[in-house]
Amino acid sequence: MSRPISCRLIGAVGGLIGLLSGCATLGDGTGSRLDLVQERGELFCGVSGKIPGFSFLSPDGRYAGLDVDLCKAMAAAFVGDSSKVQYRPLTAPERFTALRSGEIDLLSRNTTHTLSRDAAGGNGLSFAPTVFHDGQGLMVSVGSGVRSMADLSGKAICVGSGTTTEQNLNDAFAAQGLPYTPIKYQDLNQVVGGYLQGRCAAMTSDRSQLASARSGFKDPQEHVILADRLSKEPLAPAVVGGDQRMADATNWVVYALIEAEERGITQANLDDVLEQAVADPSQAALRRFLGVDGGLGAKLGLPDDFVVQVIRATGNYGEIYNRHLGPGSAVTIPRGPNRLGGEGGLMIAPPFT
Amino acid sequence: MPQMFRRGRFWIQLGVVVALMAFGGLLINNITVNLIRTGLGLDFGWLWRPAGFALAETALPYAPTDSYAWALVIGWMNSLKVILVGLLLATMLGVAAGAARSSRNRLLRSLSGGYVALIRQVPLLLQLLFWYFVAFLGLPDTPVGGLIHVSNQGIRLLGLNLSVEFCSVLTGLVVFTGASIAEIVRGGINAVSRGQWEAFRSLGLSEGLGLRRIVLPQALPAILPALTSQYLNLAKNSTLAIAVGYADLYAVSDTTITQTGRAIEGFLLLLLSFLLLNLVISGGMALMNRAVLGRLQRSR
Amino acid sequence: MNRWLDRWLTLMLLALLGWAGWSCLHWLWHGADWTVVVTNLPLYAVGSYPDAERWRPLLCIVAVVVLIVITLLGPRHGGWRRSLPLLWSAMAPLGIWLLAGGLGLSPVGTQSWGGFSLTLLLTAGSGLLALPLGVLLALGRRSDLPVLRGGSTAYIELMRAIPLIAVLFFGQLLIPLFLPPGVEINRVLRAVVAFALFAAAYIAEDVRGGLQAIPPTQREAAAVLGLSPWQSLQLVVLPQAFRVALPSLTNQAVGLLQNTSLMAILGLVELLGISRSLLANPAFIGRYLEVYIWLAAVYWLACTAMALLARHLEIQLDPVRSAR
Repeated sequence: MSRPISCRLIGAVGGLIGLLSGCATLGDGTGSRLDLVQERGELFCGVSGKIPGFSFLSPDGRYAGLDVDLCKAMAAAFVGDSSKVQYRPLTAPERFTALRSGEIDLLSRNTTHTLSRDAAGGNGLSFAPTVFHDGQGLMVSVGSGVRSMADLSGKAICVGSGTTTEQNLNDAFAAQGLPYTPIKYQDLNQVVGGYLQGRCAAMTSDRSQLASARSGFKDPQEHVILADRLSKEPLAPAVVGGDQRMADATNWVVYALIEAEERGITQANLDDVLEQAVADPSQAALRRFLGVDGGLGAKLGLPDDFVVQVIRATGNYGEIYNRHLGPGSAVTIPRGPNRLGGEGGLMIAPPFT
Repeated sequence: MPQMFRRGRFWIQLGVVVALMAFGGLLINNITVNLIRTGLGLDFGWLWRPAGFALAETALPYAPTDSYAWALVIGWMNSLKVILVGLLLATMLGVAAGAARSSRNRLLRSLSGGYVALIRQVPLLLQLLFWYFVAFLGLPDTPVGGLIHVSNQGIRLLGLNLSVEFCSVLTGLVVFTGASIAEIVRGGINAVSRGQWEAFRSLGLSEGLGLRRIVLPQALPAILPALTSQYLNLAKNSTLAIAVGYADLYAVSDTTITQTGRAIEGFLLLLLSFLLLNLVISGGMALMNRAVLGRLQRSR
Repeated sequence: MNRWLDRWLTLMLLALLGWAGWSCLHWLWHGADWTVVVTNLPLYAVGSYPDAERWRPLLCIVAVVVLIVITLLGPRHGGWRRSLPLLWSAMAPLGIWLLAGGLGLSPVGTQSWGGFSLTLLLTAGSGLLALPLGVLLALGRRSDLPVLRGGSTAYIELMRAIPLIAVLFFGQLLIPLFLPPGVEINRVLRAVVAFALFAAAYIAEDVRGGLQAIPPTQREAAAVLGLSPWQSLQLVVLPQAFRVALPSLTNQAVGLLQNTSLMAILGLVELLGISRSLLANPAFIGRYLEVYIWLAAVYWLACTAMALLARHLEIQLDPVRSAR
């Protein structure tokens, strides 16, 4: 007698669950991420924490680097305070799911802009303008006698797993018909460890990471980065795709940094320039840029003076670059393609009109 | 009237069931919404696309143009390699260390005790990192005799090429699991009555013979169940191989999930593989348990 | 002949040990560069906790250490002895309050927690969450309702078959999918939940073993005395079951502490995770031997302390059984 009743009970349970899941609607959750950040008053920024020069956890517990400064600039623009950032260290495999699940608002983690990551059918992200033009390279020790990629045929190469690095290495070597053995580690410092121990003849990563790693070696001059460029690696911050307002805001903060360097506006002279712009109505373009009039910020959903906030917090692109990757810092990488368009590089901002 | 429907009990059970239903319904609602929103539905077509990544160790021929499915199979074989050899060596080490605890030689006793006390209180991941970065990668390039060649690229043993990654995962797992097995063996040996020891000693049998023929067989019934769970632990701990660059099943799944974004399918495949492995090991040990008990029954 | 072999073996082992010990000590004193440990002690202890508030997690750690020492030494005074369980159970909410803030202390988000304080919190949090869940599962597995029994058994067997790293990794990825859009729980909480779900299955098995060891006469006696099934469970069966299961449960606790190191693979900056971050610092590249030895020492001390506490607890609760 109990059997039919418990069967009916289970049937009722199953029916109710089916009903509930059928009621699933996309309902709320379609507002822009930008509104959420501004309401919350804080920006959740996904970083690495392990790449010197880009995002790095220093002994006093603070994060520093190019990617970190970008987060600060975004926070200054979105919520008006560059200190209102929560940095979340993420490993390469989980960074995209963290972005898509909403755990972070912005991914500023040395991420390469690729088609698969951009496309809705792929990872479905939205990339800001490139903040660092990089390329994948190989580092070998001077004593190994390796002079080019072809000399690495059949050798072991240390690589970090879960990134485009792995695929690019494979593609480059396959294109030249060279066999090799990949030794895969989880993060860059393990790759460096394996390489320094002599486990592999070469290590591969973005050239900027190779340079930053080499800067910490006991004998940097004993290691050389080969001229072979395995891939283009345009590094850019990313937000979730399909969120136009968030993407626009992020894009134009980056452009603001570049434009400020083009105009020669630095953290030091910002206040003077701002005074001038306010006082002189004929400086129409400058006034629009700094938000004195024109209402450009409002079009993006940001305060009109967002550019001023950004420059005050972090300085312009050149200042950010020199602070972390310039001649005086621990990791020195020549600007190369990261110079302004007018100086022969690739950094150009569309007009602030 | 059946127990289930007696007054108070019925309402309590109904309450529990309704609460579970509501909770379950809420979860299912959320997960359906989120799956639609993030586009992470169930779809296994990606398994047949070319993998696009190379693997350092392959038991069978593999090229980056092979499918993801084949890459996962290769990862599975790599896992099996380290698990099977690990089980064998860990058992040998564990039995030796456990038996050494009842040795007459005080040094052996304290060595074994020290080994167990040290190894069991340090996390396995840390030990693996140590074995890899400090021990095996620090090996100098030396040929030892004609048959063995040791270097920090790997160990060439009788024609077999054992990579550093394989060796360090194996060593780490064997040393760690060996310590737990030693404790189990010690417990089992202690469970055998002292009378047995005194008996074979008075008969003039050597320690080794007495241990092998008299004590250990009687300790087996106490050892086997706990041994099974240690074997299962070893199999599961082999997934830590990802931390030292060994391409086991979990590591290959990880790369696959990163490249394809299909986390749920990857998880299901991993789950199935480990359930299968679990069944095989538990089943094998159950058979052995029955055989050992059977033999003991018959000999009594 | 046996005796000579024995003596020779002992001598060889002693010589080997002596040489190994000497070279280790020599290296520890002269060859090693301990700056990577010494300069970063705050990071190992509390991670990237804001400077001004560092005293909070440090206070947490110090309180735990003091409590351990007091417990192990065994206070004579009756009042102290009675208040010990209370002090221990107060550590968890106290710890969370100190670390998270609120109620008078400035709030500090979980992504600033790190180092050993995070390890302690992960262990305590997962343990506290897993224990009641495990008990429920054990009871469920022994219940008469086929749905409850089947469900509990399936859950337990599934969780015991999957490796922990898979549960943690997929917990990070998949738990957000169970939440309504817009709601998100931080990574530490997700790790704790995933870990607790995993540990609950093992705890369930230990508790079930304990429950099985209680003869049915106990339950019958309680029923005769007029206790309801729920009361008999609470007052008669469970306490005895816990006493039997205590050695395995404490083993699980030590395992919990050790397994927090796996969170490093997921990028959480507990003790092992923060060391890996540190090793990326250009100043400390290649110093992993010193770091790993330091970590091994810390973990060994922590786990041994836990094991000693466990033994102490066993003796306290069941002097007869644990004397074996």
